[in-house]
Amino acid sequence: MNKKLIIAAALLAASISTEAFAFPDRPIQVIVPYSAGGGTDLSLRLLAESFERNFDGSTMVVRNQPGGGGSIGTSGAVLARPDGYTLGAGAQGPLALLPHLGGTPYNIDDVEFIGLFGRNLQVMVACKDAPFSNFDEFLEYSKTKAPQIGNSGAGGANHISAEAFGKAANIKIESVPFGGSSEARTACVGGHIDAMVASPAEALGQVEAGNVSMLFVMEPERIDLFPDTPTAVEKGIDFTWSSWKGIIGPKGIPEQDLKFLRSAIKTAVEDEEFRKKMEEMGEFVIYEDAEQYEARARSDSKTAEAVIRDLGMYGMNN
Amino acid sequence: MDVLSSLSQLFELNTLWTIALGTLGGLIIGALPGLTATMGVALLIPMTFGMTPVVGLNMLIGIYIGGIYGGCVSSILLRTPGTPASAATVLDGYPMAQRGEAGKALGMATIASTIGGLFAAIVLATLAPQLASIALKFGAPEYFALALFGLTIIASLSGDLLKGAISGLLGILISCVGADPITGVLRYTFGVSGFASGFSFTPALIGLFALSEVFTQMERIGKSEAPVRTVSGRWPSRTDMRESKSALIRGSIIGTIIGIIPGTGSGTASWISYNEARRSSHTPEKFGTGYAPGIAATESANNAVCAAALIPLLALGIPGDVVTAVLMGGLMIQGLAPGPMLFQTNPDVIIGIFGGTFIATIFMFIFGMALIPLFSRILLIPRQMLAMTIVIFCFIGSFAINLNPVDLYTMIGFGVLGWGMQKFGFSQAALCIALILGPMMEANLRRGLLQSGDNLIEFASGPITLLFFFLTILSLGWPMIARLKQRNRKTIQAPE
Repeated sequence: MNKKLIIAAALLAASISTEAFAFPDRPIQVIVPYSAGGGTDLSLRLLAESFERNFDGSTMVVRNQPGGGGSIGTSGAVLARPDGYTLGAGAQGPLALLPHLGGTPYNIDDVEFIGLFGRNLQVMVACKDAPFSNFDEFLEYSKTKAPQIGNSGAGGANHISAEAFGKAANIKIESVPFGGSSEARTACVGGHIDAMVASPAEALGQVEAGNVSMLFVMEPERIDLFPDTPTAVEKGIDFTWSSWKGIIGPKGIPEQDLKFLRSAIKTAVEDEEFRKKMEEMGEFVIYEDAEQYEARARSDSKTAEAVIRDLGMYGMNN
Repeated sequence: MDVLSSLSQLFELNTLWTIALGTLGGLIIGALPGLTATMGVALLIPMTFGMTPVVGLNMLIGIYIGGIYGGCVSSILLRTPGTPASAATVLDGYPMAQRGEAGKALGMATIASTIGGLFAAIVLATLAPQLASIALKFGAPEYFALALFGLTIIASLSGDLLKGAISGLLGILISCVGADPITGVLRYTFGVSGFASGFSFTPALIGLFALSEVFTQMERIGKSEAPVRTVSGRWPSRTDMRESKSALIRGSIIGTIIGIIPGTGSGTASWISYNEARRSSHTPEKFGTGYAPGIAATESANNAVCAAALIPLLALGIPGDVVTAVLMGGLMIQGLAPGPMLFQTNPDVIIGIFGGTFIATIFMFIFGMALIPLFSRILLIPRQMLAMTIVIFCFIGSFAINLNPVDLYTMIGFGVLGWGMQKFGFSQAALCIALILGPMMEANLRRGLLQSGDNLIEFASGPITLLFFFLTILSLGWPMIARLKQRNRKTIQAPE
C-alpha cells in the first residue's frame, strides 16, 4: 500500500516537473515529405544535428514520408497534434502550389510558419542540340515556335516556374512533364527537349561537360557560380523565382513552446558548422523569421495560383 | 587509375564483410521456401540507408545473387522451389536427392551457378558501357516501344495465354492509380490522399509474392512432407562434368541474353535453358530422371540472369526482372537515378557494382560449397513458425519504406490478390511486369505524342522505335511459330 502511494506520488511529481520544466522533454520529430537521401532530407538532417548540438539534451528526429509530390508528408505535419512535438519540412511545392490543384487535406492557412532556412536558386538551361544557346536566341526562337521545356512533374515547382516565366515574358512555351528531375535531365542531355529548369549545382556539371548551356538565372542579381549568365530582370522581364524550405507545424502550438521553437530554429540555422556543411552540399542558406517566411510563401502562392488558373489546372483534384 | 581507386574501395574489410554477409543472408533466404530473393532485397533496403551507395548496393546484389542460387537448395531437397527461378531445377535435382545423391546435386548446382554468374558478370563489365552510350538516344517513343516489347514477354511467360493477358491488363489498370503522369490529375484515389502516388511498388510486391505465398503455405501445413535424406559428398564426378559442359555454356549464354532483355527474369531463362539442353542432348531421355546436366542447365542460366539483369538496370534504368526492380528502388533511395547518366555522374558506383558482382559470385561459391551439409537442417524449421515469421517481416518491410499506413493496406490487398491468382493459375509475374512497365508505357506514349504534336508517324519513325516494334511483333508471333515447328517435328517423327 505504502509502496503504491510512493510510486503514485513520484509519478505525480515527475509529471508536474516535466510540465513546469522546459519544453521539449521528449524527441521532436520533423516529417520530411520526400524520400531519404534527397536535398530536403539531407539538409533537414543537418539542421536536426545543429539543433541537438545547440540545445543540449534535446532530440530532433527526421522521419521521411514521401509521396504525392510532398502532400502526404506535409499533411501529416500540418494536421498533427499541435503539441510542438511534430513539425514538418515546409517546402514550396506542397505549401504554395499543390493546394491550388486541389486534393490536399490542407491549405496555406492551416500552416504555422516557424522559420525558413534555405532557398534553392533556379536557372534555365538550353539542352543538347537545342536551336538556341543564350537568352536572346531563346526569346527570338520562342516568338516563332513554343520551346519544349522539361520539368520534374506536372504541377510541380519547375513546371509552375517555367510557365510563370512564359507569362511574364509574354511568350508561349510547351511544358513537357517527366517523372522526377533526373528523368528530365536525362532527356535534356540526350537532346530530346529544348530547355529545362535546374538548380545551379545540378547545371554546373552538365555545362562543364558541354551538354547544356546556360540561358538565364531566376534571381534579381547574377550569381557567383555563373557570373556571365544574365538574369531575367536585367533583360527587362520582371521575373524572379526560387524554391525554399523551412520548418512548419500545425496551428495551435502553445504560445510559449512556439516561441522557443522559433528562436531555436534561428540559433540552429545561424550555427557556423551547419552553414559550412550546407554550402558544401551546394545549398543556399538564408534565415527568415516566421513573418518573412509566411510572406514569401503567400506571395509565391498568389503567383502560382494565377499561373495554375491560366493553365486550367485550378482545383482539378477536388 | 580511376578504375583502380574505385575498385580498391571494394577490398576494404568493411565492404567485403558486408558483401559476404549479404550473399550468405541471400543464400539462406533463397533456401527457405516462401522467402524469395525479391523479398530479401526489399526487406533489407532500409538497412542500406546509412551505408555508402557502393557498400549498400553491393550488399543488395549479394542478397540477389545468393538468393537466386539458394533457391536450388529447397528445390533439390524438398521439391519446393525456394524461388521461382529454381522451379526447373526440381526436375532433375529432386530425383538425384531421392537416389541419395543430394550432395552431388547441390554441388553441381553450385558450380553451375558460379559459372553462369561469372560469365554474365564479364558481359556486364564489358558491354554495359556500350549500352549506355546508345541509351542516350532513348527518347519518349523509344521508351514506349521498349515498354511495349517488354509487355509482350507476358505472352511467352504465362502458360495460359488468356490468363496471362488478364493478369497483365489487371496490372496496367492497377498502375493507373495515382497522379496522371502528364496532367497531374489524381486518378482512382477516391479522396484518400495516401494514394496520391498510386500503390507503392515495394509493399505491393511484398504482398503479391511473400504474403500470398504464406497463405498458400498455410493451406499446405499439416500435409506430410518427404523425410530429408542424409547428404553425403559434394563434388560431381568427372563424367558428370563432361556431360554437363555444353549445358553449362549454353545455359550461361541463354541466361545472359534473357537477363539483358528487360521483363523476363531467371525463371524463364532456366526453363528455356533446360529445354535447350534437353533438345540438343544425345540422351534426352535421361533428363528428368536425376541427370546432372539438367541441373547444370537451369542453375547456370538463372544465375547468369542476375548479373545480366543489372545491364539494362544500370545502363537504361529499366529493371530486367522483379528483383532488379526492387534494386532500382535501392539505388533511388541512395539518390542515384539508374540510367545512362549514372555512368557519367557516378562512375565510381558503377565500377563498384561491377566488381561487387564478381566478389558476390565468388562468395556464393564458397558459402554454397561449405554449407551443403548444413542446409538440410535449416529446412527442418517447422513451417508454422516460418510462416508467422514471414508475415511479421511483410508488415515491417512494407511500413518501413514510406511510413505510410496506406502501404500496409496495399500489402495486404496485394497478398490476397496474389494468393487468389496463384490458386486460379493466373501469373503473378505477368501482373508484376505490367506494374513496372505500364506506367512507363503510358507516360512515354503521352509525352511522345505531346512532343510530336499528336503526330503518330513522327512518333513512330526512329530506328530504335521501329526495331522494338519489330521485336514486339516477333515476340508475339513466336509461340505460333514454335507450335508450328513442333507440329512439323511430330509429323516427321510419326512415321518412324
